[in-house]
Amino acid sequence: MEKDKILLLDGGMGTMLQADGLPLGCLPELWNLTEPEKVTAIQRRYVEAGSRVLYTNTFGANRCKTAGCGRSVAELIEGGVRCARAAAVGYPVEIALDIGPIGQLLEPLGTLRFEEAYDIFREMVVAGERAGADRIVFETMSDLYEVKAAVLAAKENTKLPIWVTMTFEASGRTFVGTTVPAMALTLAGLGVDALGFNCSLGPQELLPLVRELRRWTDLPLILKPNAGLPDPLTGDYKLSAADFAAALRPALEEGVGIVGGCCGTTPAFIRALAETLGTEAPAKRTDMLCRGVCSATRTASFDGVRVVGERLNPTGKKRFQQALREGDIDYIVQRGVEQQDAGAEILDVNVGLPGVDEPAMMTRVVRALQAVVDLPLQIDSSDPAAIEAGLRAVNGKAIVNSVNGKRAVLDAILPLCRKYGAAVIGLCLDENGIPRTAEERVAIAERIRDAARSYGIPDSDLFIDCLTLTVSAQQEQAVETLRAVRAVKERLGLGTVLGVSNISFGLPQREIITQSFLSQALQAGLDLPIVNPNQRAMMDAVAAFRVLAGQDRDCADYIRRFAGTEENTPAAKPETGGMSLGDAILRGLRQETAALTARALETHSELEVVDQFLIPALDAVGERYERQELFLPQLIQAANAACEGFELVKKRIAARGAETVSKGKILLATVHGDVHDIGKNIVRVVLENYGYTVIDLGRDVPAETVVEAAIREDVPLVGLSALMTTTVASMAETIAALRRSGHACKIMVGGAVLTPDYAAQIGADYYAKDAKQSADIAKQVLG
Amino acid sequence: MESRLSGIERRETLRYLQYRGGTLGPEIAAALDRGEQKLLETARPRTVWRLFEREADGRLAGTDFTPEGRDVAALLTDCDQVILMAATLGTEAERLLRQAQARDMAEAVIIDAAGSAAIESVCDALCDELAARFKPRYLTERFSPGYGDMPLKQQRALCRVLSLERSIGVSLTESGLMIPQKSVTALIGVSDRPQPRRPRGCETCAARETCTYRKEGTDCGKG
Repeated sequence: MEKDKILLLDGGMGTMLQADGLPLGCLPELWNLTEPEKVTAIQRRYVEAGSRVLYTNTFGANRCKTAGCGRSVAELIEGGVRCARAAAVGYPVEIALDIGPIGQLLEPLGTLRFEEAYDIFREMVVAGERAGADRIVFETMSDLYEVKAAVLAAKENTKLPIWVTMTFEASGRTFVGTTVPAMALTLAGLGVDALGFNCSLGPQELLPLVRELRRWTDLPLILKPNAGLPDPLTGDYKLSAADFAAALRPALEEGVGIVGGCCGTTPAFIRALAETLGTEAPAKRTDMLCRGVCSATRTASFDGVRVVGERLNPTGKKRFQQALREGDIDYIVQRGVEQQDAGAEILDVNVGLPGVDEPAMMTRVVRALQAVVDLPLQIDSSDPAAIEAGLRAVNGKAIVNSVNGKRAVLDAILPLCRKYGAAVIGLCLDENGIPRTAEERVAIAERIRDAARSYGIPDSDLFIDCLTLTVSAQQEQAVETLRAVRAVKERLGLGTVLGVSNISFGLPQREIITQSFLSQALQAGLDLPIVNPNQRAMMDAVAAFRVLAGQDRDCADYIRRFAGTEENTPAAKPETGGMSLGDAILRGLRQETAALTARALETHSELEVVDQFLIPALDAVGERYERQELFLPQLIQAANAACEGFELVKKRIAARGAETVSKGKILLATVHGDVHDIGKNIVRVVLENYGYTVIDLGRDVPAETVVEAAIREDVPLVGLSALMTTTVASMAETIAALRRSGHACKIMVGGAVLTPDYAAQIGADYYAKDAKQSADIAKQVLG
Repeated sequence: MESRLSGIERRETLRYLQYRGGTLGPEIAAALDRGEQKLLETARPRTVWRLFEREADGRLAGTDFTPEGRDVAALLTDCDQVILMAATLGTEAERLLRQAQARDMAEAVIIDAAGSAAIESVCDALCDELAARFKPRYLTERFSPGYGDMPLKQQRALCRVLSLERSIGVSLTESGLMIPQKSVTALIGVSDRPQPRRPRGCETCAARETCTYRKEGTDCGKG
């Protein structure tokens, strides 16, 4: 293969097989074994037309799609490689093991677990390498998380080079929302050898996406478009071979060097490409690359100040510590949601607490956050195992917080950053502690930079933390920190990060000191301030800095931020007038409920407030719901309002260091096979607001997981939910498994298709027709 | 293909919420507005359809798919062609619903109901468009796997034939449920003879599995 010329791939396989008589809906990979000469004949035509890389006919040869076909994954893949090899005889052609999406969506949108996806891909790539494939190509991918599982499986189990092409809509996103920058940052980080687009659209429609992609990566680019869109009347694709080749030419000018066709393209298309573009070279790319970190759906680029939210951290936060100890992931996720809503652009995640299994907790929290928050994450730990767990679980490109100048730390953590393609924070301290002068800190920064480079981590992925010390204790150090920030920025050209809040510890009116220090640090060159985004003053300081530094073009964000707010108005206090706590809850008014609960707590104990105010108010709402005077959203709004009251009570108790007031534990799960969990979630909200501790196992929960958790947590009441007739069977199995285990507990069931009779028939103790009734049952069982 | 969603009928949202009258206070009215608005802004409906000749044995030509059951056979009595169609509100709506469940459950149930109303209206719009396109021929009503005696498990074959994963981003879980949840697959017969408009009873309603009106032995009054 000549380096300066474009590399020609093959064209469509599925559509060619259908033209040869494969019925739509049948498994194309079976033909590798039953009709190998037909598969080889198609591929031979591609080779003769000019293809120099053949994709094997193994797109869907995974264990999910081929289940029940009578042949093993390894057989189908060996057959596929054999067919392609036979077609390549006599030509300098490489064989690429072709792997498409599994066909089931991964969690959190779907039900497939990341580890399971990894294992499905592992089986395929191992078989492909053994069968003699030259490289692996993952194509038609929509879900960046699935690609991550795939690439890790290939990297960790084979030595083959890896290409990845994903399928985008014209909007610039995949079906599951992955963006082009997120794809580029994440895959380059994971170390793929080339990347690009295939399927979905024609060459012309993909061109804008190519232009976006080249801004974010300098890896070789692949383009394998469809022959336009199919006609629904005939199933035929719109573009001719000549038009296709002509439409691909501009992509070469964007630097694309690896081209072929996808659905609807034929050997004639490849011949047209060979004849018109075959001797051409892709344009040289000299772009200044954009840098950043990302989730699958959102990117924080390193071209301006990005606020890192600091609140996911147990240090000094009793309520957060309690949530970690009790595995109350919802509470933690809520703190993430809050920070995103307040304007954080990256979330720091620290779950280290004595007595908590940090790596396992890191995985859980990262996944739970990713299900609802779309910000890039910063994995914050000193434990390499927890960092690796976090990096593996992250969907996107993360930041690691942190390494420092200690050799042992650098050697333990930098390889992980390299492997998972993370950016990294380097703290200016070493075996001798924190140096007193800016110069000494810059020297450590330089050492960290050199170590990072030696592990192949580019300077653009390194952020130096010059360390904020408490000004009330070491007053001269504030200036020293700012000097160091400026020096790291100007002399070393590295990015900078600072945890800002620490500066004001021990002083009155902390916010004033913190905000002022933040402004000065930004002025000195701080890129990533780690702050509490819920403090308006911090976000205001950042908004103002962006205007003054010219980062906020035309002051647009600043104007939007303050649109509709009066100058100097204090935040509106909720007007509670003559309202009772019961009224506030009935009307679903959260702030008012909180204010009235606070007032009640002045004269009553926590337990009294719960038993005399909150619960009776909820009961009154429940009764009106039963009489159909209220409908579901109103019931939940009331429960949510009550939640504000309960949260105040919990905070009070946590601050005293006492145990939670809990009326007892209830386990909830949506049964295996069912993904409709909204009903279960409604029940959870209501039960929690009645003061029960709910252990929510989520949806699609296997029977054995329910049994194991029921025993481990010694739960007296288990609630199971199933929405579909098809999944009521697994509810019955779960009940049977609980009974077999001998664990003494009551079981309540609910879900749209259930009836009291049916509930009794499958062995449940209670049938709950709605959330209100589940609370009644809980009261009966737990008091 | 991307499709439009022009608005959501409040009446339909309320129907899916099993609202039975009573006053809607300002707080709840505002919540309904907010939920519907968020769904409208977020959902990116996509539809796909393809026409097939119907073989003498009922199989759709060029596929391995034969719709099963007496009800679908009755529906297609006069039809020599069949349209397979699918529609979804997209993972955008799915993610919105999941995020709402973490933020505010009351809003989540509203978005869920508004989503059910919205996907039905996307399907209605597609069917209207198809009816116009196929004139002077006539279309039957749309019929989904799980309606009448057509097995729900045929969903999988239908998804494969339309390559739903590739065409509109809809996939099935291991147990055969569609994700995004606000998705519909259906078939429509094409005939030279006018096709009866069957009453829209519970039998062909997408909510038939989960409807509490039905469980209580009544109906929502829409039939």
